[in-house]
Amino acid sequence: MSWSTDVFVVDDVNYRYLERFVALAGVSLTVRAGERVALLGANGCGKSTMLKLLAGLIVPERGTVHAFGTELTEAVLDDDQFGRAFRARVGFVFQSSDAQLFSPTVRDEVSFGPLHLGFECSEVEQRVDDVLALLDIAELAERAPYQLSGGEKKRVAIASVLVTNPDVLLFDEPTAGLDPRTQEWFLDLVVELHRAGKTIVCATHDLAALDRLADRCVVFSEEHRIVGAGSPAEILADVSLLESANLAHVHAHRHHDRVHTHRHDLDHHETECEHR
Amino acid sequence: MHIPDGYLSPSTCAVAAGAMAPVWLSAGRRVRKVVTNRYAPLTALAAAYCFCVMMFNVPVPDGTTAHAVGAVLVAVLLGPWAAVVAVSVALAIQALFFGDGGVLAYGANALNMAFVMPFVGYGVYLAIARRAPLTSRRRAVAAGIGGYVGLNAAALAAAFEFGIQPLLFHTADGTPLYAPFHLSQTIPAMALAHLTVAGGVEFALTMGVVTYLQRANVPLLRINHSATAIPATTEIPASRRRWRSAVLVFAVGALLTPLGLLAHGSAFGEDAPGALDLHRSHLQAVPDGLARYAGFWHHALFHGYGFSHDAHPAVGYIVSALVGMAVISGVAFVVVSLISRARSAAR
Amino acid sequence: MTTPAWLVEPEARMGPCACCGRRTKGDFVEKTIAGAGRVLRATMFSSDLAGEDGYLQRADARVKVGSALALLLVAAFTRHVSVLVGLYTSTVLAASASRVPARFLVRRVWLFVPLFTAVVALPAALSVITPGHIVVPLGTWFGTPLGLTAQGLTAAALIVMRAATSISVVVLLTITTPWPRLLSALRSLRVPRAFVLVLGLAYRYLFHLLTSITDMYEARKARAPRDHDLVRGRAFVAATAGATFGKAHALSEEVYLAMVARGYRGQATAIDRRPLGAIDLLVFSAVVAVTLLAIGVDHVVVH
Repeated sequence: MSWSTDVFVVDDVNYRYLERFVALAGVSLTVRAGERVALLGANGCGKSTMLKLLAGLIVPERGTVHAFGTELTEAVLDDDQFGRAFRARVGFVFQSSDAQLFSPTVRDEVSFGPLHLGFECSEVEQRVDDVLALLDIAELAERAPYQLSGGEKKRVAIASVLVTNPDVLLFDEPTAGLDPRTQEWFLDLVVELHRAGKTIVCATHDLAALDRLADRCVVFSEEHRIVGAGSPAEILADVSLLESANLAHVHAHRHHDRVHTHRHDLDHHETECEHR
Repeated sequence: MHIPDGYLSPSTCAVAAGAMAPVWLSAGRRVRKVVTNRYAPLTALAAAYCFCVMMFNVPVPDGTTAHAVGAVLVAVLLGPWAAVVAVSVALAIQALFFGDGGVLAYGANALNMAFVMPFVGYGVYLAIARRAPLTSRRRAVAAGIGGYVGLNAAALAAAFEFGIQPLLFHTADGTPLYAPFHLSQTIPAMALAHLTVAGGVEFALTMGVVTYLQRANVPLLRINHSATAIPATTEIPASRRRWRSAVLVFAVGALLTPLGLLAHGSAFGEDAPGALDLHRSHLQAVPDGLARYAGFWHHALFHGYGFSHDAHPAVGYIVSALVGMAVISGVAFVVVSLISRARSAAR
Repeated sequence: MTTPAWLVEPEARMGPCACCGRRTKGDFVEKTIAGAGRVLRATMFSSDLAGEDGYLQRADARVKVGSALALLLVAAFTRHVSVLVGLYTSTVLAASASRVPARFLVRRVWLFVPLFTAVVALPAALSVITPGHIVVPLGTWFGTPLGLTAQGLTAAALIVMRAATSISVVVLLTITTPWPRLLSALRSLRVPRAFVLVLGLAYRYLFHLLTSITDMYEARKARAPRDHDLVRGRAFVAATAGATFGKAHALSEEVYLAMVARGYRGQATAIDRRPLGAIDLLVFSAVVAVTLLAIGVDHVVVH
């Protein structure tokens, strides 16, 4: 199923934490159905906050957020029908798997969502088994989530979100702290989900895998505003933009009688090297 | 150390659990509002936090260990009823999973640490903090002192529960069936450990966390202090203040009533005129009037503070104490309400 | 940012092994690290035991909870040490039938409370505290004979055995029952939903708190290994308490948001229930038999 309408429309939102710390200072954003969007920015620039706004977990101090054509307010989200439908359609995978996994066993964790959203018990069991098999964690079903490794936790977190078959998936720093094999697995998964027609929004500072994560990138500055947007190729080529947003830096050092210039992005992947 | 199973007789456990039942019901009802919104994880966190605090056994000069509880901190942050839930949950985890504190004795442990402590401590906190601004040092110190007093109140209650065991439950030849130490031994022992070391830790902990939150996370403090502005102050209604002080006074007083069991003989020969030491009062015989009126209240309820036929004198004493407390509190509440209503009408 | 000079130069530190000086007891901070670590490990080990295929593991949680309560009550009312010993033995037998290693059970049960109780209860056997027939004379105390009385010794034995039996029963219950089933059984005992919900979440947070506390203390130990100063120790406890609370609060906010994002609106989930089976009947009848036997022997045998 596809919409020609926009899935998310964010209009000039402001948000502060603890009434003191600015997270977003006048940000507008549109996400279309079936898109893969990457929110880029250094730590603390507001990407996570934006995702929480899209997920309806927080409400902006100023400005509006529309999802599926309806404005998200506390009243709307509290409503039984819309609230449930919304939660089932939008899946949020948190940066910290520890926060996301709070049930005694993996099976309980994955069943939590559908049970609370009114799915039939038999259907829940079926879906849980299917999703555990899909993500290759079927043998972990009776284990306690907090005992698992980082990669396993991430899979459980994703499973617990996929089980309601959401139309939109929001990922907060999905590849942070994952071992290389799990990272590869995740990127393949994103490609699969995109092919299945899902809308995907990732907040990340991992520039290396950008072309597989996103069709469109939006860059946040440390002043909590959007300073650029474009395709991954365009953004990666725009060095000054990346530097001003603290996503890359140019670094020089001596080798005997020669000077090297490297451009590093936040994960210290060498993206360019000049020898002189 | 919490009270393990085996130290308290089943009847003591039942009485304590019975006393806690209305408290739990009340807490469950009041806290339902909290649990169904964003503060549910916070209450659970408070429970886990109390558990960790209770794990720190601090060595005491007499060779044993004592521990702080953290109940008053939770009361300051989320209210005393939430503290009841949080500490009860922490105690349940300890009893079920770590064998620390008995399952049958759960009611007694909860009574001491999940009811007496947070309410006494919170009452002291309110009395000292009064209208101080939310971020003032006075509030932090008040919280600390509340913690200290609350912990010692709980320790005193525990000492009482231990100490009455050999008195009430023993075989025909005098073998104590449960805890073997008398009140005169348990009270000083518990008091020593908690007035000095554990109380100090509780004070430092409570005051330390409140101070930290005053600097780092004021909205968290605001959850339970919606009436207190920063830095301006707000008037706490006078009747509420008075009621809270009254509760505090009665709580402390009720806890001290069992000390009467310590005294041998009765005060001033109240039970029977013949027990009066006639030589000391330079009397030849019991005064006529006294002898006549001695029998007047004989048929009154709870004669001799025991049930009829004096079957279980000490149990009767405890039940009488509880009933007496309830009646006195009820009367006091009515009186205080009438007075404050008259006062505000006059204003 | 320039690197400070003291960081790039070597620092004069350790001399040869300083093996002199008195060996003091580990300070309570150290003990707490050890305690927290032990707690974590023990509980993780327990959850593995709950998955084993022994008799008790297969029984329904509600039957087990009811049986545990019955046994605890019997232990509480018993007046003779011999009956308590019998009850304790039956718990050990039940453990072995459930693939619980005896050494584990003995250590879990005896390590803290019964030993502590013995230490505490023994002075109560002195004639000054529990008067009666002296069986172990210890001289005189201001003219009156001092010694351990029969009544006092019996009292000490009673309280120790009661504690041991009670803890043994509870430990057996919890290590053979997976946590969610235990919670579900509590709910069938009419424990209010709010409490069970908070209980479940709190248990989960506990591991996070314990882990972060052990991390903090390990870091401290790495920086100041021999600090037995009690005052500093207590100050450290108080100081880190605030930071722990703040950190943990942030975590609780995230957890709540994660729950809301998946549809939580204040209700508690339903956990599936299996119907009662043959094993449950077996456990139930065994418990009834032991209970009746204990009560019978306790009343009939008169010393």
